[in-house]
Amino acid sequence: MLEDVLLITEKHQKAAAQIVDLILANKKEKMIVAISGESGSGKSELAHEVAKLLNKKHDIVAKTLHTDNFYNTLPKKRRAWREKEGIENVVGYTEYLWDEIKQVIKDFKKGRKSFMPCVDLITEQVDILGTNFKKVDMLVLDGLYAIKAKKVDLRFYINLTYQETKSKHVKDTRGKEVMDEGRWATLEQEHKVVTSLKPRADYLITADFDVVVNPEKMERR
Amino acid sequence: MLHDLITITPRHENAARLIFDKVLDIRGVEAPAKMIVTISGEVGSGKSTVSVVLGRLLKKQNIRTKIIDLDDYYKIAPRERRQWRMEKGLESIGYDEYNWDKLNQNLTDFKRNRKSQMPCVDLISGNVEELHTEFKNIDMLIINGLYSLKVEDADLKVMIEQTYDETRDAQIYSQKESLDSYRLKVLQREHEVVQSLKSKADFYIDFDNSLYHL
Repeated sequence: MLEDVLLITEKHQKAAAQIVDLILANKKEKMIVAISGESGSGKSELAHEVAKLLNKKHDIVAKTLHTDNFYNTLPKKRRAWREKEGIENVVGYTEYLWDEIKQVIKDFKKGRKSFMPCVDLITEQVDILGTNFKKVDMLVLDGLYAIKAKKVDLRFYINLTYQETKSKHVKDTRGKEVMDEGRWATLEQEHKVVTSLKPRADYLITADFDVVVNPEKMERR
Repeated sequence: MLHDLITITPRHENAARLIFDKVLDIRGVEAPAKMIVTISGEVGSGKSTVSVVLGRLLKKQNIRTKIIDLDDYYKIAPRERRQWRMEKGLESIGYDEYNWDKLNQNLTDFKRNRKSQMPCVDLISGNVEELHTEFKNIDMLIINGLYSLKVEDADLKVMIEQTYDETRDAQIYSQKESLDSYRLKVLQREHEVVQSLKSKADFYIDFDNSLYHL
């Protein structure tokens, strides 16, 4: 994501420190961590802080990968497309280009060069970012449906609904999307889909930004 | 630049608004099809932040704007830069540290509505990546950076004024680089180089956020 504006606060730093401790306790080569949560819950802020701590304090070269760069529609056309197809029918994780995400993860694991979409929030175009994963030790995925990705070693879920972060959407301080009925309906549908992914998470991040074991965790084979 | 952290304040919004009005003035008279605006200023003066706010204002006017950060064009990657500078001496610090040929190539691609490949630093990992952009539908470039006044092709050159002391204070709050006596020497040197370019600016923005000719 280019030209995104993050609002990092102490609570993000606090949770990031706890997440980094868990990462170090479970550390492995070419490790992948994923953070999901609803719109406005602070995923990008958290991922940023986690990656920064890993790089600066622990000498682990970590790269964040924002999975919301992988939508199957262009930012400018997404809204009209969703409304045409029906928000309840199309909003959800099937909107991600999962094959492309899979390819980037594969390139990371193999330590080779990879090309990935990168949304510029000002031009609203999708640029292509070329990254050499040879020098990257760890991948921190963040995005609405990031914890649905395969090959992830540790999954975190921010346990905050869009209703709880409502003021963020109404105020629109990040200038991202204008609020109206269609946008609220989209948030509601995203809420349903993201909530359904919650049992995949190893850890939850509470409203106070503490990191706790997910009591609803479903063991997958 | 990936993962640059900026904090937008009313001060930045005012500054961006002043530049925005100037851009609209120029477009009203000359209507250049492909316009380049440069924003320069010292480290921590708020160039990147003003650039993003300006980009958002232009976007609302349906002027499609791409922001280029000159710091992506350093020949030496962030991780190696300090060591390189220590070996080469303080005099090596300045605009020759940038890959101007690469920038000029990107500017040509912009003017000619072509696809272009630009360097892009990931500030978290410290790696230099490559960014592929289609310039066909882009109307305007904002180039921000210490020495962006060196871009001869620009239609509007703005400088955000700030003294060295204020730069040093800004740097203390910025998390980009750790501050020590060597870093202070680098800042002093960069300050001198920026000041030597000052006369190239069309307009200056001062701390009270007024725009003026010198």
